[in-house]
Amino acid sequence: MTLDVFIAERQGRWAALEAAIKTAKRGRLRNQSASDIERFGLLLRQTSSDLAIARRDHPDAPITEYLNTLCARAHPLLYRGRAWRLGAIGPFFATALPRSFRAAGPYIVASLTLLLIGFIAGWVAVDVRPDLRASLVPPSLFDEMARGQIGTGVQDVPFAAAFIIQNNIRVALICFAGGMLLGIPTAFVLLSNGWMLGTVAAAVRLGGYDVQFWSLIVPHGVLELSVIVISGGTGLMLGDAILRPRQLRRADALARVAVRAVLLVLGAASLLIIAGTLEAFVSPSGLPDGVKLAVGAAVGVLLYSWLLLAGRGPRRRRMFRFDRPAETPA
Amino acid sequence: MESGQFDTISVRTSDNVTLGYNIAGLGSRLVAQILDNLLAIPLTLIAVLLYGAIASVFVTSAEGATFADAGAGFFAGFAYFGYFFVAEAVTGGKTPGKSAMGLRVIRVDGSAADFGALAVRNVIRVIDVVVVLIGIVVMFFQPQTRRLGDLGAGTIVVRDRATVTLASAVAPPPVMLRTPDAGPPIDGLDHIGSFEHDALRVFLSRPGLSQKLRADLAADIARRLLDRLGLPPGAPERLWPPELLIERVYLQLDQRHR
Repeated sequence: MTLDVFIAERQGRWAALEAAIKTAKRGRLRNQSASDIERFGLLLRQTSSDLAIARRDHPDAPITEYLNTLCARAHPLLYRGRAWRLGAIGPFFATALPRSFRAAGPYIVASLTLLLIGFIAGWVAVDVRPDLRASLVPPSLFDEMARGQIGTGVQDVPFAAAFIIQNNIRVALICFAGGMLLGIPTAFVLLSNGWMLGTVAAAVRLGGYDVQFWSLIVPHGVLELSVIVISGGTGLMLGDAILRPRQLRRADALARVAVRAVLLVLGAASLLIIAGTLEAFVSPSGLPDGVKLAVGAAVGVLLYSWLLLAGRGPRRRRMFRFDRPAETPA
Repeated sequence: MESGQFDTISVRTSDNVTLGYNIAGLGSRLVAQILDNLLAIPLTLIAVLLYGAIASVFVTSAEGATFADAGAGFFAGFAYFGYFFVAEAVTGGKTPGKSAMGLRVIRVDGSAADFGALAVRNVIRVIDVVVVLIGIVVMFFQPQTRRLGDLGAGTIVVRDRATVTLASAVAPPPVMLRTPDAGPPIDGLDHIGSFEHDALRVFLSRPGLSQKLRADLAADIARRLLDRLGLPPGAPERLWPPELLIERVYLQLDQRHR
């Protein structure tokens, strides 16, 4: 077939495909009817077979480049991952998030270990050199404790909450993103948070303010530290994928874990809204210490029964299953 | 592959056809980034001013003012980076800056960038921007101009704009014939395919050749055509002037394929 005949016979469907691409809104075909999408698929398949012919018979003709660009523009409109809708949020928190938490188990344990190493190091540092206490722990803390008003009477609580929530989300996202730098920033965040908690805990123990201190930390800290540990785990996942890609290329190994990890960290970070609210409203409040500790314990039990137990059992059937033989009728 | 002027990545589709995507270069990515900043920075300022306005109404203590100030700083960060994430998520991978430059984020397998991939590349954007603009350094050395966020998300920024329009591709330059007559049928035309037809067409549609160059080229092409046709030594076609042979072969191929 000569180039002219090839073009004359088939340019109608190319123009049709081009027009169909223009009707896509925001990179999607969502606003179109089923028959339009079916027609789009047909046009794309026909045009890509035209592209294959053009490439064989007329490799240097401008039409070949035209057809390639046309197919390349149409392809992502039709081929795409599962769409994300608001309705997916419920199942995400009900099953997907706890499952990816458990799947990330070893990394989360490693992340927790780093936090504990920092904590123990801080604790030991203050124990060994109590004289350094003043340089390790903000002195104002002791003044407040001495006056018996540790952490009480925070004013403008909503702004405190907004500050705390945003700061913690920022830390969680940095823990994840630090995975791109082999997880080194992630490990640093975990160690330094553990260190801070360890030094302060050891210092207040020396001063004998244990109960006041822990009642100030525990209500929100259970949730907050869990989220930091989870985020740290996602960062370590990325770092591990880069360092030990196994059978895959590094870029592929990374991309494979990163999408799972980002959903885990975004889900976990959303819990920080609850943690920040507790931190601003409950922890510094005048509630009895016992109540505050009980709140922390209750949050912990809820959090971990959700993360460890939700979404177990057989997976629900997907809409499309090609990997399972058709069920035999009863 | 198709277009010599750009680097491409090849994607094999489920129809077993290979598509070439033109990779966006560092220059156009940076221009897109600057254009986006022209929108993102004012939007961030507006967001922070709103935050400040709300705070100035409701904050009652010095302690609260400290929290509000620090909170506004964080809020600025979320607003700035949020602009890119929201813009990409809403448009399917084209921020206004990318759109203006004809760029688009896709996944390396050619499918559209989904929510998860866009989330990864936009969270990691913080590292790309904040750590001494490491993203630009990585893009400079990475063969496909991907930054860290692209590597993590398995995405790539490609040129989304058509480089050739249908009108220009289907209207190749006109063929100029001296003798618009196909002449007597030539034997052995079966040995000649569309590739040679295209080559003859290119020759016949070049107006700018000098007389001598045109004659030399025609002689060369005619010699190869005669080889390809496999005509016997005494065939009359061997006596035709080269340009006449070329025109007649071209016209007869044309007729044959109509």
